[in-house]
Amino acid sequence: MRFRLKSMRTVCLGLAAIVIAACSSSSSSTPGNNTSAAPASGGSLTVLEWSGFAGDWPAGLDPATNTNGAADQSQMDAIYGELFELGPRGVIIPDLATGYAFSNGGKTITIDIRQGVKFTDGTPFNAAAVVWNIKRDLASSCTCKPVWLVKSVTATSPSTVQVNLLVPDGAFINQIFDSTADWIASPAAVQKMGEKAFALKPVGAGPFVVVSDTPSSVLVLKKNPGYWQKGRPYLDSLTFKAVGGDEAAYEALLAGNGQVYEDMSTPALLKQAAQHFNVENQLSTSPYDLQLNTLTPPFSNVKARQAIYAATNFAPILQHIFSNLYPMTEGFTGPGGICYQPTVPGYPSYNLALAKSLVRQLGGLTVNLGTIQNLVAQYTTEALQTEWQQAGIKVTISSYPLASLIAQFTGKKWQAMVQTAGSYDPAAGVGVGFRFSSLSPFSGVHDPHLDGLLNQAAATVDQSQRCQFYNQAAQYIAQKYYGPFYFAFAPANIAVRGVTGPGLSQPLPAVVVTPTILWEDVSYNKAAS
Amino acid sequence: MTAEAGVRPGARTQFARRAVGSPGVRVAGRRLLAVIPVLWGVTFLTFIVMNMLPGDAAQELLGANATPAEVHQLEIQLHLNEPFWVRYGNWFGGLLKGDLGTSLSGGQPVTTILGQRLPVTAELLLYAFVASVVFAVGLAVLAARRPNGIGDRISMAVSMMGLSIAPYVLAPVLVYLFAIKVGWFPAIGYTPLTQNPVENIKSLTLPAASIGFPLFAVYTRLLRADIVEQMQREDYIVTARAKGVPPWRILIRHALRNSLFGLITLVGLNFGTLIGAVAIIEPIFSLPGVGAILIESINNRDLPVVEGIVVIFAVITVAANLLADLLYVALDPRIRYERAAV
Amino acid sequence: MSAPLFRPAGPQTLLPPEVTAPKRARTRRAENWTHDLKITIPLGLLILIAGACFLWPLVYPVPKPTGGSILDAGLPPFSPGHLFGTDAVGNDIFSRILYGGRVSFEVGVSVTAIGLVIGGLFGVIAGYLGGITDAVISRVLDVLIAFPALVLALAIAEGLGPSELHVIWALSFFGIPAVGRVARAATLALREQTFMLAARLAGTPRWRVVLRHILPNIMPQLMTFSLLGIGVIIILEGALSYLGLGIPPPNPSWGSMIANGQQTLSSQPELVLIPSAFLFVTVLSLNLLGDALRERWGVR
Repeated sequence: MRFRLKSMRTVCLGLAAIVIAACSSSSSSTPGNNTSAAPASGGSLTVLEWSGFAGDWPAGLDPATNTNGAADQSQMDAIYGELFELGPRGVIIPDLATGYAFSNGGKTITIDIRQGVKFTDGTPFNAAAVVWNIKRDLASSCTCKPVWLVKSVTATSPSTVQVNLLVPDGAFINQIFDSTADWIASPAAVQKMGEKAFALKPVGAGPFVVVSDTPSSVLVLKKNPGYWQKGRPYLDSLTFKAVGGDEAAYEALLAGNGQVYEDMSTPALLKQAAQHFNVENQLSTSPYDLQLNTLTPPFSNVKARQAIYAATNFAPILQHIFSNLYPMTEGFTGPGGICYQPTVPGYPSYNLALAKSLVRQLGGLTVNLGTIQNLVAQYTTEALQTEWQQAGIKVTISSYPLASLIAQFTGKKWQAMVQTAGSYDPAAGVGVGFRFSSLSPFSGVHDPHLDGLLNQAAATVDQSQRCQFYNQAAQYIAQKYYGPFYFAFAPANIAVRGVTGPGLSQPLPAVVVTPTILWEDVSYNKAAS
Repeated sequence: MTAEAGVRPGARTQFARRAVGSPGVRVAGRRLLAVIPVLWGVTFLTFIVMNMLPGDAAQELLGANATPAEVHQLEIQLHLNEPFWVRYGNWFGGLLKGDLGTSLSGGQPVTTILGQRLPVTAELLLYAFVASVVFAVGLAVLAARRPNGIGDRISMAVSMMGLSIAPYVLAPVLVYLFAIKVGWFPAIGYTPLTQNPVENIKSLTLPAASIGFPLFAVYTRLLRADIVEQMQREDYIVTARAKGVPPWRILIRHALRNSLFGLITLVGLNFGTLIGAVAIIEPIFSLPGVGAILIESINNRDLPVVEGIVVIFAVITVAANLLADLLYVALDPRIRYERAAV
Repeated sequence: MSAPLFRPAGPQTLLPPEVTAPKRARTRRAENWTHDLKITIPLGLLILIAGACFLWPLVYPVPKPTGGSILDAGLPPFSPGHLFGTDAVGNDIFSRILYGGRVSFEVGVSVTAIGLVIGGLFGVIAGYLGGITDAVISRVLDVLIAFPALVLALAIAEGLGPSELHVIWALSFFGIPAVGRVARAATLALREQTFMLAARLAGTPRWRVVLRHILPNIMPQLMTFSLLGIGVIIILEGALSYLGLGIPPPNPSWGSMIANGQQTLSSQPELVLIPSAFLFVTVLSLNLLGDALRERWGVR
């Protein structure tokens, strides 16, 4: 399988986070906090995470067994650090790796490993440990495992790892971000403690060390005194707490029970929060899309799909439900990611008269429109229902809890779904293939030509060439009426004043729905709050 | 219960005789035997209900992009492919040995998860019950001192409000007033008792109030009605009055003491029925208790965890009912307890 | 559920308090008058709210509770044409209150009626026949009481999909055992009465004893219990909708309106306050009415 398909759970939850996050454009009125003054060391932060997404880690935090995968990226990065980090404006920051090179036409990737680093249990961090981890990730039964078609992974020296693939993969490094292969666990600790105990008290080489862990509830971390980067992390301790939702988190911040909340998305609350806190809007990478199932009626008929394009007007929805916080887009890329192309040549526009006549030609059109059980997603489907009814389309709407949503997709009887597609790199994370490749169970499209375009794009190392393939793919999707796109969405991070760092006072692009805060660079100056 | 002057003469000896005497023991024995089919029924019903849900834990764990072979592999690993009866038999056999199985989504033993989370829920419920009983007793005595007086009317109005307000409406109001506006208590989170006892009590106050206020309302009304009735009707009170015992002494020592039994009965009955309140209130306050994971476990088809929680609450309910029935039988001579309590 | 009902009513408790504590005529008249108020005020409120929910949309045009225009989204209360304003997708909140109230009343009354008929039947049978029948029925009621209704409701909503009918089924599992236990306890207390013994000695058939002697005597107790029960069920229906397991969106229910509103409580408190107020006043009226009737009928 060419496209990286994350565990369904992560993806669907990801959608929920995305969907919820719906509003924050003008509210980023306080981004000027990245002052040039040196950040103060010390202090503690309590970070709130939504219990439906990032605040959910029932299986613990071992990269090979954590079924929630990238949803828990913040906790994972604080404990393990990363091989590579995705920094502001898409800069690749070498963290525990120091560099990489493609060779053999994109089939071989050589990664340089940082030397002189130790895991927090005192054992050495080296190429052998990285190879051991990647092999373990690939062999794990978790669907969060990397899906590269790997021929071999070897340590060619104590500081170099070589990955040989069966097929070229130009997106390899972009696919590492926030994947299980980016987080390196201490092999000695896993073997000594056993997998289950390790998952509850993991050992890495990251900026923080685990003090205590109640899964899906509270994770207490303290500064790693032997962290490889001198002077970091700034914080003495970091606590993650699960919280019920945006409103509860906002109230908790007001009551002083936390300093940071990740991934706020309720439009009305973002405006409210900006009055008291720093609201950092992230760069959108994953547009909303409306998936149509081309395998079953009514959308096996191209006219029905065309009618949906003609009957859908996203502008008022964006304005009233999402407060115009996000840019409209006609493809699967966003301004925070690569290959961004907001307009697609030949994209069918809103045309109520055309929609009505198409519905008449079809002799009526009845649609069941679904989405995940989430308030903003539900509002979106309600608004679409009203719009489509004006074109004479009969619409029923359903909002499914996660398990039922999966059942809808595996049952292949679904008709239309409000989802998100795209990623920082369309070939990575919940990328375009997730919603549009024949191989993906979450795709409504089964078109060999589109598969070919997407495969060619992923295999190409040269970025401008890749983007050309993606632009062609976006054009082809519009031409075949495979599914309209609304706007490129991203949630916002909220922090009390005085907290600075990438992702909190500086926007970051997101790989899987939400960006990863670089915790080693985060500081909290209480005096400034 | 001590045999003080004025308390139903001979009550203590009667109680003792009844407790040791054959009918009470017989009732207790029969009730204990009856607990087994009830526990069995509850766990079996839960098993059936969870099995009727679409999708299973293997599919849920692996995601839909897993191949059927992978799903099948995991089903074998988790014993999900075995027939219903075998799975239930295995689970029930484990239960009898004190083994509740392993969480399907987290991979940890259910006893470990419950061990971590049950103390939080237990403390929360205990706090809610103790506080509601204490306040109810105070207010009911105040109200019953002068029936239809101003104190009575206010306390009845307060308790009527408590009966009519939904916990999910009350909780945000409490958070707004006491966490955000005055900042006395935290809006979310739990501080363990061992870490900081004061913060521990503070962190549980608002959730305990959300669960306890409706209970407090029920208790207050019951207790007040009981005391008023006792004061008006019971012969020994009339006797005590005639003997010139001061009114407050009659109220506290006699009427309240004898009215408390009804309250105990009710508290026992209520204890186990709060699984729903806990499941709603714990997530609102981000408490790491069992209620917080109940709904998620159902969504994940994590049967062992759901069963573990259901069993705990069923045991509590059954035990509390049993205790209440026995207390009632022991305390009220007007009942033909052999029939009534079976 | 309140406990006094689990306690078999003794013969003297069936008498109104006036019998044991006679008062002077003037205070009695005053008391009767306040007693009337205690019944008429909550009854009037209930009729007003229920009447508005069921009749208002028939006699006076209101906007539809769903399918509002997105262009009207987020209007504040007292906007022209929208008394209570509109929600995030432009639906009229007043209309949603009325239609959501229908759900509350329908679910509350249906569940209580099912509980009365089935629970009452089994309770009376168990209490009257005693022996093995009683033991079996009591154990089944015990199981249902110990079985968390929430788990069942979640399962029904997930397995069959959320709908009003499924909510009624799920909550009936809560209502039946509660009424059943009350009916059994009340019947049990009656069994020991002399008139029952007399009827039995006179050879009256069992069904006739049940119809003529037991039912009329336990009815007041069951009725007051049911009134309080409707309030409890309305709150529980709200809880299910609050958890997303009740009435499927976009159709309104007070519980789901409160739950949705709570997600933006800090910015638009009226979205929570309005349905909460209706829920509170409705349940309060039911409780006050139940209380007043209990007092009037001398039921404990």
